[in-house]
Amino acid sequence: MNVEAIIIDGMAFALPIFIMAIGGIYSEKSGITMLALEGLQGFGAFTGAIAVLILSPVIGENSPKLIYIAIFAAMIGGMIYSMLHAVLSIHFLANQVISGVVVNILATALTTFLTSLLNESLTGEASNKIQLGAAPRFTVPYLSSVPILGAFFKDVYIFVPFIAFFALIAWYVLYKTPYGLRLRACGENPYSVDAAGGNVNGIRFSAVMICGFLSGLAGIFFAYSTSANFSPSIYMGYGYLAIAALIFGNWKILPTLGVCVFFGLAKSGGYQLTLALGLSSKVSDLFLTIPYILTLLLLIFFSKHNHPPKAVGQPFD
Amino acid sequence: MTGQKEANHDKNAFRPIDLLADDRWNKITIPLITILLTVLVASLIMILIGRSPVVAMKSFLQGSGLWPKAVYSPSKGMLTDLFSFLGIFSPMLLASLGVVVAMKGGMFNIGISGQMLASGFLATVFIGYSDLPSTIARPLILLIGILVGGLFGALVGYLKYRFNIHEVVSTIMFNYIISYITGFFINGYYADMITRTSRAVRTAARLQISDLTLMGQKISFPLGLPIALIAVFLIQFFINRTVSGFEIRMIGSNRICAQYAGVKVGRGLVRAMAISGMLAGLAGVTMYLGYYNTIVPKELSSMGYDSIAVALLGNLSPSGCIFASFLITIFQKGAVYMSSSTGVAKEIASVITGILLLFSATGMYIKYVAQRTRAKQSVLPSSNGNNQNGNGGNRI
Repeated sequence: MNVEAIIIDGMAFALPIFIMAIGGIYSEKSGITMLALEGLQGFGAFTGAIAVLILSPVIGENSPKLIYIAIFAAMIGGMIYSMLHAVLSIHFLANQVISGVVVNILATALTTFLTSLLNESLTGEASNKIQLGAAPRFTVPYLSSVPILGAFFKDVYIFVPFIAFFALIAWYVLYKTPYGLRLRACGENPYSVDAAGGNVNGIRFSAVMICGFLSGLAGIFFAYSTSANFSPSIYMGYGYLAIAALIFGNWKILPTLGVCVFFGLAKSGGYQLTLALGLSSKVSDLFLTIPYILTLLLLIFFSKHNHPPKAVGQPFD
Repeated sequence: MTGQKEANHDKNAFRPIDLLADDRWNKITIPLITILLTVLVASLIMILIGRSPVVAMKSFLQGSGLWPKAVYSPSKGMLTDLFSFLGIFSPMLLASLGVVVAMKGGMFNIGISGQMLASGFLATVFIGYSDLPSTIARPLILLIGILVGGLFGALVGYLKYRFNIHEVVSTIMFNYIISYITGFFINGYYADMITRTSRAVRTAARLQISDLTLMGQKISFPLGLPIALIAVFLIQFFINRTVSGFEIRMIGSNRICAQYAGVKVGRGLVRAMAISGMLAGLAGVTMYLGYYNTIVPKELSSMGYDSIAVALLGNLSPSGCIFASFLITIFQKGAVYMSSSTGVAKEIASVITGILLLFSATGMYIKYVAQRTRAKQSVLPSSNGNNQNGNGGNRI
């Protein structure tokens, strides 16, 4: 078995789910149920892909700048789209579970429709794909030569430093700043925040926007790496995996990282196992179910003992 | 509180705001507003992409057999389209009933599409390819649909009660697991070499009576239609007139209160999800072995999501679902014809459903604002203290 490949592929799967899960933690800790991660990452990936589609004739198809523009556009797109969920659940007092599902459904429908509309007007063909390249990868010079564990620093996608950067900031803001304290208090007892002079709905709105911002990064990672295009197949349920990850992680950032890495390694491990056993590609469909089955099993063992934020799902009015 | 007091105060005086605030009226007015807003936005989209909204809306109706098309091929006609429309309307109605029952119990079954696929696949494999005569095959197919869907639903309810697993997460996980596993079996063992979908089900086993002639037009009568209509009455009766139905509604509105009142919450949750799953299973067999006769591997039906829109639009009432699924099916079914006649991608149907869902989700808010406005109107002449009370949550 190729241990290096397991780690490289596993991390490429785990890290986007991790950054999405951090977004989910922000939203849920502030008291807004977040089932919309799936739609947010898809919409983010869509805006990133659109930016590439529009700008690649202007600044050249192989320009290295393109990828940074895509990341920026995806994060902004995810953030703007997440405001829909925020408005529905904060201002319109909609059921937050329903609102999350609405946001997901609308994201799938809108991006698919707009993609074929744009493709038709630009190229004349009503395709539902936007072609993207595969993002560049790099290898960290010294760390990668460490045996086995060096694989964590080998062939790393360009998105990984961004994820590390935003994850660190997110961790610091959530646990070490007054804003983070208030945000967490909003999810436990919003009335105490209100009494202390905090703006509960403002904090919740910003938390959902941060969630959209981070989910956009995850979306463009998925679109720009393994699949190398934007198509409806971006809605693979990874957003829900991120939700499951943050539930095992007990709504804390560091344990969630561990869960995501476990998911990633399980998935790529299963795939490498089919390769090592020489099984046909048809069987790989069965191995694709591994992360989902693991999610269910882990939920069975861990859901009883964790503590979701007390006020999650309750509108503050 | 103020609203209730004042409503008693001048019960007979009718004001326009009552249309939205009064529970007798807003069951109808709020869905109507939702539909109007959706049609408005859909028309705006059509205008924005340079198509005539009138032509588009008409072709949605034409594609559903509710408006005559300009030309028909021989021996086909509006009735052919209409019965084909009813063929996909029936599973939609059944699926939305499934959503309704789960929601009455305070749960959100978005695993409808997975439960449909599982029951459709197993019925296809075990009965659809067998040589059984149709009098035995058809009831068996329905039985498999009910059993498979019901078991999946019950499992979700059990996981929710026993292990505290949110039903949205578990049903989504089941959706993907079912989709990959059935995809594996269809690709590996049951695939048609040409179409790459599962081999066609035998006509004798199909839940539709094909090749009938009505007024000179060829039609296929969907057996799902009577099943779905019977299901509407049964579910209506079950929810409103039986003890179990009352317990489910109680759990849905306040689980802790239900527990104190002595309702067995776990049993109620499992029961609600099992019935929801049974309806989804019936929807699955009437779709995959009725309207269609084949299964596309690794593709979950969009009906799982559409049925949520239907249930919300139908105000979570079984009879309301009849109208709501009629409307949404017009968009879904008519989209193909609309797409060919106006050149707009057929995905617009999902966009319209999404917008409809969006406005449905704000329906509660419309009611809330209307009731607050009414309370304010009636309080104004009286003391100031009451007025402040009514205004406490005013932040928009």
